[in-house]
Amino acid sequence: MSVDRSYQASFNENNQEFVIAGKLRPQNAAEIKPLADALARSLAQVRGTVYLNVKRLARLNNVAFRAIASVVTQVCGTRPDLRVEVVTSSVMGWSTRKFQPLAERLPNVTVNEYDKDFYPGQSYLEEGGFIPILRNQTKLTWHHEKHLLPRHGLRPGMTMADVCCGIGDFAVLARKEFSPASIIALDHSRTSLDYARKVAADFGITGIEYVYGDASEMVLEDNQFDFVTCRHSLQVFDRPELILRELFRICKPGGRVYITNEKNSHCLGEPRAESIQWTYNEVARLWADYKMDIELGPKSRRYMLDAGFEDIRVDSFMVTNLDGDPQGFADIIQSWENVYAGEMARDRGDPPEFLARFRQGFQDHIHAALHPKGYAGWPIWAASGRKPT
Amino acid sequence: MNGTTPLVEISMGIDAFASEWLHCDRISSYLARMVSHSRTDSLLYANLLSSALNELLETAFAHHGPDGNFCCRVSRAGESDVIELDLPCDEQALSFYRAAADRLGQPDLAAAYHAALFAPEAADPHLGLLEVAVDYRARITILPEQGNRLKLAAEMVLEGAAA
Repeated sequence: MSVDRSYQASFNENNQEFVIAGKLRPQNAAEIKPLADALARSLAQVRGTVYLNVKRLARLNNVAFRAIASVVTQVCGTRPDLRVEVVTSSVMGWSTRKFQPLAERLPNVTVNEYDKDFYPGQSYLEEGGFIPILRNQTKLTWHHEKHLLPRHGLRPGMTMADVCCGIGDFAVLARKEFSPASIIALDHSRTSLDYARKVAADFGITGIEYVYGDASEMVLEDNQFDFVTCRHSLQVFDRPELILRELFRICKPGGRVYITNEKNSHCLGEPRAESIQWTYNEVARLWADYKMDIELGPKSRRYMLDAGFEDIRVDSFMVTNLDGDPQGFADIIQSWENVYAGEMARDRGDPPEFLARFRQGFQDHIHAALHPKGYAGWPIWAASGRKPT
Repeated sequence: MNGTTPLVEISMGIDAFASEWLHCDRISSYLARMVSHSRTDSLLYANLLSSALNELLETAFAHHGPDGNFCCRVSRAGESDVIELDLPCDEQALSFYRAAADRLGQPDLAAAYHAALFAPEAADPHLGLLEVAVDYRARITILPEQGNRLKLAAEMVLEGAAA
């Protein structure tokens, strides 16, 4: 009889976190005893709050659940001072519901569905308000990216994943232009995915599968995509290296991962350059306060090398008011003002005089974009790397 | 089942199925993946379906007759998917499934499931069926058939059922 060892368990003493990932479907308690013993030993060492992290546990049968629950129940019974926080993920679908009864039985156990804490500023970006920004942005960046993507390795017939796909418009454009064999488009915003699915249905677009997922803990299997894209997203996470690790994992050996990111303080415009410059320097500080790095673009090469990629290719391009309809460019800037000044800076508690000056820079950028002799720019870095074979 | 479209079926001798515990995991993972592609969120759907199906297969693995064919079938009617297990049953297995059908017909299944989940001694043998009925809101029917066989069907709507 074979025993399935397709799970990983580890204990991090510093974080007081016991992590179980993979698949746990043992036939009997003896099979899972090593894990149960390790959990018991770990719980015996900790004080205060301990985290039982099951957010990447994809499969769990009742034999395994009972073994885990038994250890937690025993320890909690003798250690009323101990708090056990079970960290589940909405991505798995079943895990929060499975562990909730444990919290209902034991007063010192709580179940928290992970996600929001990991992305401190993401609620601003995930829901509703950012959809117009994303739609306009992709329209203008595609103008440049469609020429760059072949240099970064995208070819017809490839299996492709678009991680942090947002409203899915990049996937649709890539499908039309490059005819990949299939595209999995993953995002963590249900609003965006609903929008993407509706657009695909309305326009009869096939070959793109939109799935709910967490870029830092994807349920996708290892080594399955020829080309993985993740656009304007590493800059949203406070630990971009975790996302890159996942992109690396799902990419086939020899395949490439393609990322784009900004350096917002390099946004520019004429006339009124000084006011514009001031505001975008403040944008960078604002994002940093929300633990996001809107300056990440030029750091892409370092991040990709550190993640283990080779043959790194980096390009930069400037989206400008001359790329098409200047009003489209101006609409992006207006969307930025609405979210950055109207929501994020306001919620940070910035005083009215700051907000007024902050808003003025966006308005000056719009002025530059629409001015008959004006020039307005938004720089972007596109980088890709090959996963070693 | 009436009104459903068969999607996929795996058939083998019950002795082959019961010869290896990993068959439960392999079959549930494979079938769930096969039938989930046309659902709105295929990964999430496959995760949920695999979890429910695995519990049913683990039950069949432990409780079945000695000889005959074992069949696992997934059919669809709109938002509902129906998992059917068709298996040989001796008197002991029939008695197990009769008792299960009685329990599944009782009120307050959630309380029964939670009591079974945390039962301090040996695991309740009906735990998997109770879980599928409660956590996956499945309508489970258990029907003995001619020739010492039994058909277990679980109908569930998993789209939008994530916790």
